[in-house]
Amino acid sequence: MARKILCVAEKPAIAKSVAQHLSGGQVTTRSITGNPYVKNYDFDFNFGPPWGNCSVTMTSVLGHLTELKFPAQYNQWHSPPPWSLFDAPVEDVVNQDKKAIADNIAQQARYSRALFVWTDCDREGEHIGSEVRRAAFQGNRSLEVKRAQFNNTERAHVVRAAQNAINLDERQVNAVAARIELDLRIGYAFTRFNTLTLQVMGGDLSERVISYGSCQFPTLGFVVDRYFRVKNFVPEKFWSIKVMHLRDDMEVTFSWRRHRLFDRVSVVILFERCLTARMAKVTKLQKKPTSKWRPLPLTTVELQKLGSMYLRMDSQRVMKIAEDLYNKGWISYPRTETDSFDKGIDLRNLIEKQVQDNAWGPYAQGLLAGGFKWPRSGRNNDQAHPPIHPVNYVSLAALSGDDRRVYEFVVRRFLACCSEDAKGESTIVEIEYGDETFFTNGLIVLERNYLDVYPYEKWTSSQPLPRFNMHETFEPTEANITEGETTAPGYLTEPELISLMDANGIGTDATMAEHIAKIKDREYVMTQARAGGTAQANSTNSRGGRGGRGGRGGAQGGSNAGNGGGGGSVQQFIPTTLGVALIEGYDGIGLETSLGKPFLRKEMEIKMKEICAGTKSRHDFVQETLEQYREVFVRTQQQVGVLRAACRKYVFGDQP
Amino acid sequence: MSDPAAQISAQLTATKSLTPNPTWLSAFLTTQRPTTPFPALTQTACFRLLASDITQSLTTTSSTCFPQDVHNVNLKERRLGGSIAVQVLAVEDMSKSRWEQIEAIEALERGEGTKGREIIRVAATVEDDSAGATVQKGGGPHKLLLQDAAGRRVYGIELKGLEGVGLGMSIGCKMILKNTLVARGAVLLEPTTVTVLGGKIEELHKAWKEGRKAELKAAIEATEHEARVQNDQS
Repeated sequence: MARKILCVAEKPAIAKSVAQHLSGGQVTTRSITGNPYVKNYDFDFNFGPPWGNCSVTMTSVLGHLTELKFPAQYNQWHSPPPWSLFDAPVEDVVNQDKKAIADNIAQQARYSRALFVWTDCDREGEHIGSEVRRAAFQGNRSLEVKRAQFNNTERAHVVRAAQNAINLDERQVNAVAARIELDLRIGYAFTRFNTLTLQVMGGDLSERVISYGSCQFPTLGFVVDRYFRVKNFVPEKFWSIKVMHLRDDMEVTFSWRRHRLFDRVSVVILFERCLTARMAKVTKLQKKPTSKWRPLPLTTVELQKLGSMYLRMDSQRVMKIAEDLYNKGWISYPRTETDSFDKGIDLRNLIEKQVQDNAWGPYAQGLLAGGFKWPRSGRNNDQAHPPIHPVNYVSLAALSGDDRRVYEFVVRRFLACCSEDAKGESTIVEIEYGDETFFTNGLIVLERNYLDVYPYEKWTSSQPLPRFNMHETFEPTEANITEGETTAPGYLTEPELISLMDANGIGTDATMAEHIAKIKDREYVMTQARAGGTAQANSTNSRGGRGGRGGRGGAQGGSNAGNGGGGGSVQQFIPTTLGVALIEGYDGIGLETSLGKPFLRKEMEIKMKEICAGTKSRHDFVQETLEQYREVFVRTQQQVGVLRAACRKYVFGDQP
Repeated sequence: MSDPAAQISAQLTATKSLTPNPTWLSAFLTTQRPTTPFPALTQTACFRLLASDITQSLTTTSSTCFPQDVHNVNLKERRLGGSIAVQVLAVEDMSKSRWEQIEAIEALERGEGTKGREIIRVAATVEDDSAGATVQKGGGPHKLLLQDAAGRRVYGIELKGLEGVGLGMSIGCKMILKNTLVARGAVLLEPTTVTVLGGKIEELHKAWKEGRKAELKAAIEATEHEARVQNDQS
């Protein structure tokens, strides 16, 4: 009986490093027919009971292997009509350009007794695992199928994963299968409908595909919503009272508890009563220890937000780099919702690996010498991956530009997590003056702790405060009414957009960056530097596939560099006229649930989680969701006029 | 049996500082069955008064109304004697810009209150999680337009927080002012001198709610206009 075991990873880089670790370097590399990226690695490995010592072929796919499609008779856009796509037959076929890879798996399976799936451990990866299984069964129906559980490619971790394989999680496979089917049906139906309805208006729209995606639209909705808030904004004057007191050569400014009021007459009356009272009295004097909390362990959403904020890279770029760093074995899997470390993980060991660095090595050493503190625990746990952390040390000199900055951020963030909070002492002095209360704050930073290794955050001592005594009275040196004006909010920035998507349940941590890239791609939004630079129509490479994760595995296809980053300021999003027209149009149709709002998509995400938890069936989920969208579709068809009117108004600039 | 009108009047004046005028009271009594026991009758009368327009229902003696020169802005401070009954005709939250309030109303108009259209707008990307952010949040102070039984209208400023006062309060809500301060023509409201009795004038409340957005917009335009005039003059 064949002793061979076939291992299949999600991408070549993982296959390579897993093969290296399991073989201990004793590995033969073979090219495969028909694909230049995928390689087969042959070696021996002892999997332990019940498998024992086996010869192994390790290979990979390039992301998804199969694709869900409508049969050829549905290729025409006009007929059958778009609505028929809600219940047209679909077929699951191997992607034309992945055929060679599938054949390779089938062929290798022929000589194997078992298949070990090494795709990434998340929902999407589970589904890719099922695709691999199907391809392998083509060659050998009697294969036993196992799944390796891992979240980084550190050697010991990989070996442990190989020796403790589990089964594929069919629930997760089903959840993703359902999502793929819904995205296909809903996306195609609405995209064809939009395009057919609006192309006939001619002009700028005549050649355009006006795509719809259940995440794209709400994402665009956020950008449009903010755009109108900026555009419609009306500034208003407000007034405040400021009290200044000079003592011991120090100027102390007291702020008004009421902050500011939008009624001048009232402020003048209150101010006069302060002046009349003449004397102010100290009513509260409080000194207390305060601290600035060290950051939580790093999640994907945080990495994307902070990448944009601190590193000035767009989320897609940050994710691309993080994924590269993961593939090379420097950091753990970068798609995670978890912000607390499992008690079993050896954090000290991870810190130890950073000791050799010139910049943060001494700090890491300090942690090991007694400064170490177990990280704070956040509230999220996806039960699959730990927070993003460095797995191995690599010197920054060995990394290129942006890779270096992302790796450095991940390491510094990790070390900061394992440190003490910064400590300080805060002072509050509160005075009563007339009928009004004023206060001033002082801060002395006593111990910087984590801030020493985490330069992204600032916390500095205030100017020193002179001495005040409880209940003492004094005559303030100066009191004034100040005037100000409200200012419009800024256009939406990427970190804000990610927060909104997160709060409203649009996309998963793994896909948010792609949805954002997609609405840029479709020219529904433009980005510009916040400082007020020129707008650039940001054209990232268009990727063929729809579906949740074009980026995965397909990375070799073309440099995906994007053009964020580089510059010095945060990018902000402004909708194009088409983007505005689509959202206004769909909002105007007067559906109880608008496609431009998050609700429908949020429900989908929740139901997917229910499938994973085993409380909902795939069939029910697909039918329920299709029903909801079908209703929207019918209403939209009835009120095409509203959609066209919005385009006339915004795209063609007609007066209503 | 003594005069029920006088009895009710005396009772309401003593307990609520509300003195109904005889015309209103006798009209009220004709709608009640004569067998109704006195305490129930008084309670009903009180309830009706709170729902009434006090310019129609209360007496206008000098001790229950604002003095004629209450608006005098040259008077820096004075105390009003007696117990003055007023009703609230309008309420403003002075800590909120008008535009902010318009945005909130428009979000509701767009249907964001319903589930299928709701949207969460919190974008807390500010990294300030430490001390310092101790500025008072929440609403207030409020500015109320008050009217007494004689129909005189005066602004009141909520000097210290009053329970029952806020943007959600009912228009036509009744209050009793005892020994309140007036500064430059504005009544200074605080818990020690103000009793909020409650109540509502249905039509006024409805009109106020419906006209709210237009009013806020008009107020913005008025201040813009004012600013332009000032600029032109300087």
